[in-house]
Amino acid sequence: MVIDLDKCTGCQACTIACKVENNVPHGSPEEQRGRREIYWNKVIAVTNGKYPHVQTMLIPMPCMHCEQAPCVTVCPAKATYRREDGIVMQDFRKCIGCKYCMVACPYGARSFNNKEQDEKEYHRQDLPPDRKSWGQWPFPTRTHGVVEKCTFCFHRIDRGIKEGKKIGKEVVPACVEECPSNARTFGDLDDPQGEVSRLLSSRGWTRLREELDTKCKVYYLFK
Amino acid sequence: MNPDHLKVSRRRFLKLSALTGAVVGIEQVIGPLPSVSASPVRAPQKALRSKWIATSCLNCQGRCAIRVKVADDRVVRITGNPLSPASEGKVCPKAHIGLQVLYDPDRIHTPLKRTAKEKGKEIDPRWVPISWDEALRQVTGRLNEIRDRLQPHRVLIFSGLHSVSAQDMISRFAEALGTPNLISGEGLDLEAEKSGNWMADGHYGLTSYDLDRTSYILSFGADLLSSGVPLSRFLRKWGRMRRERPGRTKVVVIDPRYSVTASKSDEWIPAHPGTEGALAMAIAHVIIAEDLYDHAFIGRWSNGFDGYRKLALEQYSPDLISKITGIPPETIRRVAREFAKTGPGLAIRGKEALSRPDGSYISYAIFCLNALVGSIDIPGGIIYQEAPSYRDMGPVIEDKATQRGRSQPGIDLGGTERFLGTRAVTNRVPDSLIEGKPYSIEMAIGFNSNFNMTAPSCHRWDQALKKLPYYVHISPFISEMALYADLVLPSTTYLEEWGYDHPSAGGGLAEMRIKQPAIPPRGDARPVIDMIFEMSRRMKGGVAGSFAALGGNSEGFVKFRTGPLIPWEELLKKGVWVGREYRYRKYDRLFRTPSKKFEFESGNLRSFLSKTGNIKKGETDFLPRSGEMRFLGESEKYPLILLPYQPLLMMGNGSQNYPWAQEIYLPMQGMGWDIVMEINSRTAETFHLRNGQRVWAESPFGRIRGRLKLSEGIHPEVLAIPSGQGHYAYGKWQKGIGANPNEIIGVDDDRVSGQPSSLNTRVKVYPV
Repeated sequence: MVIDLDKCTGCQACTIACKVENNVPHGSPEEQRGRREIYWNKVIAVTNGKYPHVQTMLIPMPCMHCEQAPCVTVCPAKATYRREDGIVMQDFRKCIGCKYCMVACPYGARSFNNKEQDEKEYHRQDLPPDRKSWGQWPFPTRTHGVVEKCTFCFHRIDRGIKEGKKIGKEVVPACVEECPSNARTFGDLDDPQGEVSRLLSSRGWTRLREELDTKCKVYYLFK
Repeated sequence: MNPDHLKVSRRRFLKLSALTGAVVGIEQVIGPLPSVSASPVRAPQKALRSKWIATSCLNCQGRCAIRVKVADDRVVRITGNPLSPASEGKVCPKAHIGLQVLYDPDRIHTPLKRTAKEKGKEIDPRWVPISWDEALRQVTGRLNEIRDRLQPHRVLIFSGLHSVSAQDMISRFAEALGTPNLISGEGLDLEAEKSGNWMADGHYGLTSYDLDRTSYILSFGADLLSSGVPLSRFLRKWGRMRRERPGRTKVVVIDPRYSVTASKSDEWIPAHPGTEGALAMAIAHVIIAEDLYDHAFIGRWSNGFDGYRKLALEQYSPDLISKITGIPPETIRRVAREFAKTGPGLAIRGKEALSRPDGSYISYAIFCLNALVGSIDIPGGIIYQEAPSYRDMGPVIEDKATQRGRSQPGIDLGGTERFLGTRAVTNRVPDSLIEGKPYSIEMAIGFNSNFNMTAPSCHRWDQALKKLPYYVHISPFISEMALYADLVLPSTTYLEEWGYDHPSAGGGLAEMRIKQPAIPPRGDARPVIDMIFEMSRRMKGGVAGSFAALGGNSEGFVKFRTGPLIPWEELLKKGVWVGREYRYRKYDRLFRTPSKKFEFESGNLRSFLSKTGNIKKGETDFLPRSGEMRFLGESEKYPLILLPYQPLLMMGNGSQNYPWAQEIYLPMQGMGWDIVMEINSRTAETFHLRNGQRVWAESPFGRIRGRLKLSEGIHPEVLAIPSGQGHYAYGKWQKGIGANPNEIIGVDDDRVSGQPSSLNTRVKVYPV
């Protein structure tokens, strides 16, 4: 995924679109104070400088889906793993909730689900009453006591591949689809003809915390 | 990790998916593995009855075209309608929150009658549910009785945010009743911009910009990426301006606050608060003095340039204005040159520049910069939004009561000595109600308005509402104004009703959007349009007749009005009708001014004032100007100037009971569920205030509490507080959260437009 910070408007549509798509529960004032909220995508603000030469960067942060993912290395239960296509996944059934991965993740991309099952609707009255009719994704039911994170909306990708659609063009993650300024581009990094490769060769880019050599798959373009 | 294991499971998963033909790909990752025998039972497509419905949003005035996904009678997703050109089918984050607006657990589902005698902020109204029939009988009984006495002007109608169709119905209802007192919420924050346009080119409306082709944006106090109208258009076009066209549009933001837009711009210039008008005139000075203006346009299509030129050259030199604005003269000169030479450029003004005592003149002064560089009705310049032509509703049927009522003056004092050229002086209504002048009001109906939250000095609204003998509030929830109601009628949200909409500003070409119910109304809520039809049928005289031939109900009304534009079935399917391609440079028929040209000296204002007899020699000036620097409160006692601002996730419907909006309310501060009071770090040092401290912000009119945030992105004389919080009437997710800056803002107005000034109140800050 490529995120163009020159096009990004800091509107946070990605954050909300992600919550809608993946049924990521919203928080509450208490949870925010205790830093117990769950986000699979969050826009963070980084400020430098003194008045009037101040510079704030609003950076949308999904999971970086690192090639050398520290979370995969540390997980004692093998609950977190990298798929063949590069997406880093979390198996809720295997996760023992030890939070090692949350400590290991340099990007704070992971959240722990404190919510009890009896809150399982999380006030999402818009979800259809018969959950079985939906299958598990989109709008997954959730599991208490496990760590969760962004999946690049893999359910969309898998379905798209099955239906023979072009990934990155016809099928993209929810945050990409709902970005009003089209700041996000999704596609196969190995495809030299793809839009992602074209963008990366057209301008200077950076990855967050490059020094850790995580080889993450989210690239940022600057002004 | 064992890659072989992965391979196997992936292959196995594909096989399984193929077998079941269902979207259960994740099964092996979370949840139980589906057995082959179990899979046919789980086949989701069979049970899933989902469809997309084209309709339009109503979480701000933008009213974007949206598509709504409905599955099993639940609305599960909202996204943009690609057929809408204004924002290329994109929507802002607020559109998605429609799900929580629709399914707000604290909505009301039945008419409620007050049983408590007393009215007040702290008093429980003790609601008792009553039937629709009984509720409407009470309302229309009173209306009939007042009209029988030929006193319809004593009925007051408030209007908040609605679809254009509901607005049309409400206006017609007021007109048919015969009351001049229809008070709209738009009068609170958009009038100065509109009236500045009207002074210059005669178009009393919001400004549209050709963002696709502009090369330079000079923003005066406009947080385009948070509060621009329509927001989705600014968000979408931002991407286009920056990286989707040859040559990147440069954006310069002038604002005492480092807004989201400022952070995304190329240059942030913090001017002293209230000096944007002076700065605009100084920029004009440079453009004229250095002969950078568009001679062709000004020579052929403008009027009054000589007076304007003289004023700018004599009174607004960059060296002089530098002292007023705090911006170095060389910066003013550089920006002026860039703006004039990097054509086509746009000078855009926003709420954070105009909500001032002379807001209309500031608006006029900034708007004139566009004419100076010829950016009027050209590609990349100011454009003029076209409106769809609906089928005409015909005149209302007048009876004696209508005529009598309409001959009375409005209680907002518009067009009088106090307010020169105004249409709606929304924030003066409480004074008139409290004083009972020019006459007393017997009954009021509020259509989804919430002025005792959204208007400056809102406690006056509380007092006034308390005094109303009978108040009917119509909204989907118990808003703050509803606390004062004798009767509350539950209206539907925009996802449950019929309507039509068009943008008041956008991409120029006319665009009409349908609103069709995604699901039937929840509970016993009814659409506003149907309520008005039903009330009209229960009324005597001209009122019933005025609504007799308009389709009979909301669906019929929309069919009736949109009939000439597009076949009904096509409209239901597409959701959007778009007019013919936009034509630029319509100068020969564009300007609605006495000279039929762009006016640097406003003939409209002159003729309006002479009509109302308000011209006094030497008192009024018809040229743009910097605006009077007038502040409420003494600077010794109240050293800071309050700057309320609108964050992106502030909803326009009078409620904030939406967790998705609340938890990420302030992106620049990385927080939500609260407000913060932002102060310059060096100013805080001189007052011995610490970051994160709980403080009072006190003005001569009251005080509110909040957490202090030391910031490098704010002018040293300013205290910035976000609006939209501080609700107290209803809702688990909004009640008691944050505070409302309107509680401490004083009452002052722009005398031309009647817009309240919310940026000129002084405050002091001290620890709790």
